[in-house]
Parts: sequence; C-alpha cells; structure tokens
Amino acid sequence: MLRATLRSLLARKLRLALSGLAIVLAVSFISGTYVLTDSMTRVFDDLFANVTAHTDVTVRSVAALQGNSDGGSDDREPVPDTVLQKVAKVDGVHEVIGHVSGYAQVVDKKGKAVKTGGAPSLGVDIHPGAVQESLIVKRGRPPVGSGEAAIDVATARKAGLVVGDRITVLLKGPAAKVTISGLVGLAGADNLAGASLVAFDPTSAQKYVGIPGSWNELAIAADPGVSQQELTRRVTGVLPQGIEAVSVKQSTDEASKSIKQGLGFFNTALLVFGFISLFVGAFLIFNTFTMLVAQRTRELALLRALGASRRQVTTSVLTESFIVGLLSSLAGFGLGILVAKGLLALLDAIGLVLPHGGTVVALRTLIVSVLVGTLITTVAALIPAVRAARVAPVQAMRESGPAEERSLRRRSIVGAVVTLLGGLALAGGLSEGALLLVGLGALMTFVGVAVLSPLFARPVVGVLATPFTRTVSGRIGRGNAMRSPRRTSSTAAALMIGLALVACVGTIGASAKKSVVKIVATSLGADYVLHADQFMPFSPEVAKALEGKPELGAVAAFRFGDVRIGRAGRVGVQGVNPAALEAVLKLTTVKGSLSSLDQGQLAVSEKEAKNLGKTAGDSVTVTWARTGDQQMRIGAVYKNNQFADGYLLSDKVFDANVTEKLLGVIAVRRAPSATPTQSRAAIEKAIEPFPNVQVEDQAQFVKAQGDQIDTILNLITALLVLSVIIALLGVVNTIALSVVERTRELGLLRAVGMQRRQLRAMIRVESVVIAVYGALLGLVVGLGFGWAIVNALSSQGISEFAVPFARVFEVLGVAAVGGVIAASIPARRAARMDVLEAISTV
Amino acid sequence: MTTAVRAVDVRKSYGKGETAVLALAGVSLEVAHGQMTAVMGPSGSGKSTLMHCLAGLDTVDSGSITLGETEVVGLGDKQLTALRRERVGFVFQQYNLLPTLTAQENITLPLDIAGKSPDAAWLAEVVQAVGLADRLHHRPAELSGGQQQRVACARALVSRPDVIFADEPTGNLDSKSGAEVLAFLQHSAREFGQTIVIVTHDPVAAGYADRVVFLADGLLVDSMDSPTAQKVLDRMKRFDGVA
Repeated sequence: MLRATLRSLLARKLRLALSGLAIVLAVSFISGTYVLTDSMTRVFDDLFANVTAHTDVTVRSVAALQGNSDGGSDDREPVPDTVLQKVAKVDGVHEVIGHVSGYAQVVDKKGKAVKTGGAPSLGVDIHPGAVQESLIVKRGRPPVGSGEAAIDVATARKAGLVVGDRITVLLKGPAAKVTISGLVGLAGADNLAGASLVAFDPTSAQKYVGIPGSWNELAIAADPGVSQQELTRRVTGVLPQGIEAVSVKQSTDEASKSIKQGLGFFNTALLVFGFISLFVGAFLIFNTFTMLVAQRTRELALLRALGASRRQVTTSVLTESFIVGLLSSLAGFGLGILVAKGLLALLDAIGLVLPHGGTVVALRTLIVSVLVGTLITTVAALIPAVRAARVAPVQAMRESGPAEERSLRRRSIVGAVVTLLGGLALAGGLSEGALLLVGLGALMTFVGVAVLSPLFARPVVGVLATPFTRTVSGRIGRGNAMRSPRRTSSTAAALMIGLALVACVGTIGASAKKSVVKIVATSLGADYVLHADQFMPFSPEVAKALEGKPELGAVAAFRFGDVRIGRAGRVGVQGVNPAALEAVLKLTTVKGSLSSLDQGQLAVSEKEAKNLGKTAGDSVTVTWARTGDQQMRIGAVYKNNQFADGYLLSDKVFDANVTEKLLGVIAVRRAPSATPTQSRAAIEKAIEPFPNVQVEDQAQFVKAQGDQIDTILNLITALLVLSVIIALLGVVNTIALSVVERTRELGLLRAVGMQRRQLRAMIRVESVVIAVYGALLGLVVGLGFGWAIVNALSSQGISEFAVPFARVFEVLGVAAVGGVIAASIPARRAARMDVLEAISTV
Repeated sequence: MTTAVRAVDVRKSYGKGETAVLALAGVSLEVAHGQMTAVMGPSGSGKSTLMHCLAGLDTVDSGSITLGETEVVGLGDKQLTALRRERVGFVFQQYNLLPTLTAQENITLPLDIAGKSPDAAWLAEVVQAVGLADRLHHRPAELSGGQQQRVACARALVSRPDVIFADEPTGNLDSKSGAEVLAFLQHSAREFGQTIVIVTHDPVAAGYADRVVFLADGLLVDSMDSPTAQKVLDRMKRFDGVA
C-alpha cells in the first residue's frame, strides 16, 4: 500500500508541489519569525555581555516602582556621588565607575535632528582607561570637558559627521555646542543595538544627561580572588538605606528579561500572521486533496475492488498528505532564514530599525516549523481521506464523470451553526477583551462562511460574470465558474480570509481616523500641539522658550510619569500647569473642581475613577518611585478625554516627586489678539533651536495621527499579503485542475475554431470571477469583523464607524488582477495543448 | 462535379528513427463537392490520421492538401483555427458538446466564437431537419446519446462549412440512434448539397455514403461508388485476409 501511495504522490507531483508551496510559504514565515526574534535576542544578550564583561557588582537605588507584567521597566532614582566615594574604599573593590545615561540627540549639519527609528537617542559617560569601559574609541580621542563629545560610528556615518566637526546636541536642558573629539563603538558593533550614542566625560555627562553629583548606577570590578557574592556582601555593608548592591548577573538578567518580554510580544504578533497564512494553506491542502480524491475515484475504487480496506485507503491519502506536509515544512524552515532577513528589511523600510546581528537558527525553530506544518497539512487532508474511503468498489467499473453534487441542505445547517457560534465567540471575546476567544471566533466564522459559501456561489458568480457575457469566451468562462459551486467557493474561501482581514484592518483604520477628527474637535482646545519625533520625550527648555510670548495665550507642557495608585495598580499620570490646562483641553468636570489641582490634588477621569472605586473627595495612596507612598485627595472627576486619559496632577506635584524633567507634549492656545500666522511664527521661532520638536496645528495634528494609523495599517496589510498570495496559488491550482479535467472540452473548442486568445480569455474569466467572489466574501466578513471590533473599542477612543471605501475597491481590484495573474499559467498551458490529443483524451 | 477537398501524395509518420510508424504513405484523394464520402479501413490503416490532416487538425510531413482553393499545408495555428471555424465542421465520436451550454448554444458555438449571428431561417431549417426543435434548451446531460450526436451534426451544419468531417459519428450509439444520425448526414448531403467526409469502420455506416474509399497500411487501396452495406462488408473481408 505504501508503494501505491508513493507512486500516486510522484504521479501528481506538480499538483502537490503547488499546494505544498502554500505550506512552504506559511511555514517559512513562522520559521522566519523565530529566526528573527532569536537573532535579535542574541544581539541583546551579546550586548549585555559585552557592556558588563569586566563588571562584577552593580550598585543602584531600590526600585520603588517595579516593572509591571506588560514589560515596563523599573523606575529607579539616582545614586549620590558620596556613595561612590564610600564604595571605592571597600576592600576588594578594584575599580568603581559611575554611569549616567539620558536623552541626547545629535543635530546634523543641515540642522535636522538625527533619527534612530524607534531606538533611543542616548547620552552616556565614557571613562577612558577604566577596565570596565566597554566603549572603544575607534577614531580620534575620548572627549574632555564640556565642550567635547564622542559620537557612535553609525550615527557619524548617517549624518555625515567627522572628527573635529562642531555639532549641536539636543538635551533635556539647553542644547549643547560641542566638538566631536572621536568616534566610538562597541567591540564588533558601530552603535548600541540601534540606539545612537553621544559620549561625554563623566562630569559633563552628569551635567548634560544626568544630575550633577549623582549617577544612575555604579559599576564595580572586583580585585582578583574576590567573588561576586563576597564583594556584593562587602559593598552592601557601606550602602545607605534605599541603595542596593546586586551581582552583575542579576542586573543583566533583569534587563535582558524585560527586553525578552518585549521581543516575545513582537514574536507573537508576527506569528499570528504566520498562522493566518498556514490557515489559508490548510484550505488549499483541503481543496487539493478533495479534487485529487475526486479525480482518482476509479483508481481508489480499483484498490478497494482488489481488497484494500477503507482504513488502508484513508491511510494512503493521509500518508500522502503527511509526506507533502513534511517536505514542505522542511523547505519552509530553510526558506525562513531568508524570510527573517526580508522581514528585517520590511521593518527597516517603514522606519522601525531593529538591531542587526548574526542569524540564529535554534533547534526549537526546526521542531515547531516541521511539527506545525506537517500537522496542519495532515489534518486538512483528513476529510478528503475519509471521503476517499467511501468510494465503492463498483465505481471502478462505472463510466464515471465528475462526482455528482450532493444536497446542500446539511451543508447549510452546519455552516449556519458554525458561523453563528463563531460570531458569538467573537462578540464574547471582544466584550471580555479575551484575544484568544476573538481569534477562535474569527477562525470559526471563516470556516462557517466557507461551508456556507457554495450556497451563494452560483447566483453571485452568475451576476459577477455578467459583464463578460458579451463574448463567447466570457459566457463559457462564466458557465465553468458556476459549474462546481463547491470548488469555486472553497477556492474563493481561501482568498476570503486574507482579504477579510485586510478589509477588517482597513475598517478599524478608517474608523480610527474618523474618530481622531471627532476627538480633536471635541476634546482639544489647543490651537497647536508640539511634540518630538515619534513622541519621544524632549527638553523642558522648549516650554521655557515659549513662555511670555505675547502671541500665545496659554502654554501647557505635559509631563508623563508612572505611579502606583490603589486598586488601579501601575498607571500613567500627566503633570501640567493647572492655569493653562483648561485653555488647551476641553474638560468637563463631573464632580469636584479642577482648581483643586493647584492645591496638589488629583484629577481623575470617570473611567479611572470607576477602576479605583473612588470619587472626588476620597483619598488614595499614590506610590512614587522617588518619594514613596503619599496620601492624595481626588479633587475632581472629569468626563473621559482622550488627551487626559486617566490622571492629572499639577506640575508642582511632579517636581516634588519625579526626577525626570523631560516633556511629552506641549499644547498651545494662541492669544486672542494674535492671528494664527503670528502665533505660529512666534512658536516656530522659539523652537528653532530644537529641531527634534515639531509644531502642528489641529488639522496637521489630525493628519499626522492619520498618517501614523496608515503606517500601522500598511504594515499589517503588508504582512497579510502572504496569505493572499497563498490563496492565489489556490486559484492557480483550481484553474489548472479544471483545465486538466476539461481537456476534451478545450480540444473541442479549439477544433470548432476557438482561437488560443479566446481560450485564454475564457480561462481568465473563470479565474477572475472566482477571485472576485472570494473578495466579496472577504469584504462582507471583514467589514463585519471591523464593525464588531470598532464597537468593542468605542470606549478606547474609536467612537466612530467608517467604511474604508478606497480599501474596498483596492481589495476588489487586487482580486481581479490576482485572478488574471493566477489564470496566466494554466491558460497558457491550455492554449498550447495539442488539439488532437486533447480531443482523444479519455 | 467540383472537388471540395483534394489530397496529393500526403505522407505522415509518427515517432523517429527505428520506432517511427508510417501512418500515411502517400495518399492522394479527391472528395467531390456535395457528396458524402466514407473513408474505411481496418484499425491502424490511417483513416483517422487522414481525416485529421484533411481537416487541419494535424500536420503532414509532405504532400499537399487543398480545401476548396486554400492550401492547408503550411498554415499557422491562427489560420488553421480560422479555417476550422469558418470552413470546416466536425462531428466526433463522443464528447462533442460543452456540458455547460444548452443544445442551441452548442449548435451556434462556432458562429459565436467567430462573433457572427446565425442565419435564423437556416438555423430553424437545420434544427427541424435534425428533429430537435423541442430539446433546444436542454443541456447535453439531459439528452440521449443519439440526440447529442444530432446536436453535434446540427452544429457542424449550421455554419455551412465547405466540408463536414465526421469521425466514427455512430461509434458510441445503438443501431437505431446510429441510423438516425447517418440518415441526417445523408439528408444533408442530398438536400443541402453539404460535402461530408465520414470516417468509419462500420460497413452499415459506409452504406449511407455516395462513395467509399478504402485505406490500408497508409495507402488508398480501393474505392467504390454507390456502396451498400453488403458490398462494403464483402470488400472489407478481403482486407482481413490480407492483414
């Protein structure tokens, strides 16, 4: 029996290769994702190992606010220089150096801030000659004094800067003019995993990016023969309260854990797309095996007539699918290594720069790829395999045409039930915020609609193809597409999945954009919003530069911080000048008064008040990283506002409790006496020294938000393209099979005078109609999903629903063009077919 | 009497080298206009190959074939396709019809392909003659084998081709249905002056023709005017002896 299986596999290698290709592509994406994240993890691991190669113990403040499960990092206060002096005297300490790091961004010669694409712009210290110093001066010399800095090789290359250039460095305080004394890098790397570096001598680093007289942390190297544990113990003995010493292993483990959490999230997000593609691939496998079994009815019946049991027939088909799955998965695993590089390039292209490093191929990647790919392929072939076993031996003798279409009644009941359950699971998942349930619901809905779709195939396809019926090719093509509703629909259903997700994402995007317009109109009173690239923090000097301008009515600088409050846990708070607040945000107080902010009280949005279970007049315990627990009174509860999404405090309370001075956003209202042109000119002049900060009026702000939404949409859509391509392979497969099955008909058409061109057109019509049917199904399901999700997100700011018309037409267009492309190879083969051979095919 | 189809010293072989099979070893033939000519011969005699070559479905190694005034040998695919569409009609042994089209659509298929509209009076006459007026809107699956073959005949006839080639048109039919189809073909030749070439190994079928030519081993070996089934059968028996 196995021999028969293998023979049949070889005989159909082309057909199987095509559906196998679907599995190869899907698995390669999964394998590529693992390779990518593993490689990135390795980059960070290497980085930590490199930076701390000669350090044994780290001294730092105790974290008052621990990182939360979402991967937020610990907030720690600085360590005073006096601690360093004490530690230096401890017996067994070979060397102790203080590290600071903070915001520092290089401005290039054209006056533009050099961007990193998501990675931080760091200012750091450099201790030339210290054993623990990991920065290597690759050109020039280390910086000395506050007039010099060294920058990393990659940034210098990007900005076209060389040693000796005079540059401006943007800082949280006033920008600094420095001369580049040298270019630095790490051993084997030109920058810090994508982050840009500006290195100052330690004292200047404190002044520019830290706090004079204190360090972020101390790094200690032990004398020979003193263990990390022993040194940690000894150092701990001299530390004041609130400062701790930990072995370097512990501190790097902590740091790498938080990075791995972030990468894990990234990994999962990408894997989702891999599994979507695999799901589509499963449809393809199902279709292919269904068609193969139908084609082989006589052969299978012969096997049964010769005494093969049902189980043997089923096993034979399953073995075939298992072998296809195994080979495809192995190929996909290998291809994944290339995909990893491709993904990196894709993310690069949209401005998300990830650290580049060696390619890491873990054994886990191989196991997961092969297991998942093989399993899905085999499971997808299960139903066709069982059907194969139902072939009666007598069918071997019969003159058999294509299998008769069975009743659609049971199908419609099963389909309706599955679709309904899927819809319920989706709705339930959305309202509970259970992502897994949402995914399961979506999956079931897809399967349900796929089961139902043959019911509509004939009428819908008939209407879709009407424009083509002017020519005989179109009429026959239409007839062919309507001929086997099951095959047409299952092919279309595979395409439906990817396009539904594209439409769904498009709907969410369009709705989000529409919502932004409304939110800005109803919540934002400011005329201008100032922020840095990618909403990175920026210098409070910007706010100072705007103060006192007669053209400006109110300037509200927002600072963002983290605290822990009662039942709500770790939350973000915004600090702002209360006097300017109401001029820039349209806040509606529900209870209490916003003027209480001036007395150091807390203002809370209705949503968060509900989370806390408190209201105006109640007291809550607020835990700050620097100052610890504080009892604070809630002075006001206001209606939810997307720009003050939680907790507001006066900037004075921030000053008293937070070391970090950087700003998040500045909102400006112009003076009533000034024209928009005057006020804008005043702002632009004031922020001229800060090229990383941009000013946007309301319309520009709305557009910028829209652009940001578009960027994310485009990325997701790009990732969904794979599943669409796989589904188009399915169209190729179906059309190719139809061509083979209808060889005689094609021969007849040619014999009675159909030109090759007309024959190709006929096949194209069939293919296009199937693809567009898939797109229609996708649009219906996708818009439905989008609507459900937008409804569920209404409390999170997506309050409006919008249909993405442009996307809808794009989807239809892509399907039509995809159909034409998918038809091209089978059509060419059909047209080249020898007329005589075709007619005499039995 | 004019000649509708003329073949001069047509040679055709399949394969190469030692395994080459000579299918036509120099056949010359004239098919008279308005006649029904039967090509007979035992299996492997080359009769189907000859028909395929005459109809422009297959290429020849050497020789000349003219359809009316047109030299068929050497034409490209496009011209051959147009020739088949406009000047040749076909009836095959089986699978003559497209299952997705109705009987009427199948009949007008060559005209539709050419983008021409059928001559309504002629179409009605053909449909009448073929006896399918009440089955025109049925699909092939709903027609009997004989009816299907008659639809195929009507299709061949409706574009008024120079010549209709019928390859074993009754091969898959019972004798009654077969007789109907043959009678219709004979009627077409006699009443409409339609030139018909029918390839068959059935003496009864050949008996309907105006003339029979006999093929053996790729050569034209004999011909017979005004044949009857019995005369043809007798002639065929001699082949068996030779073979």
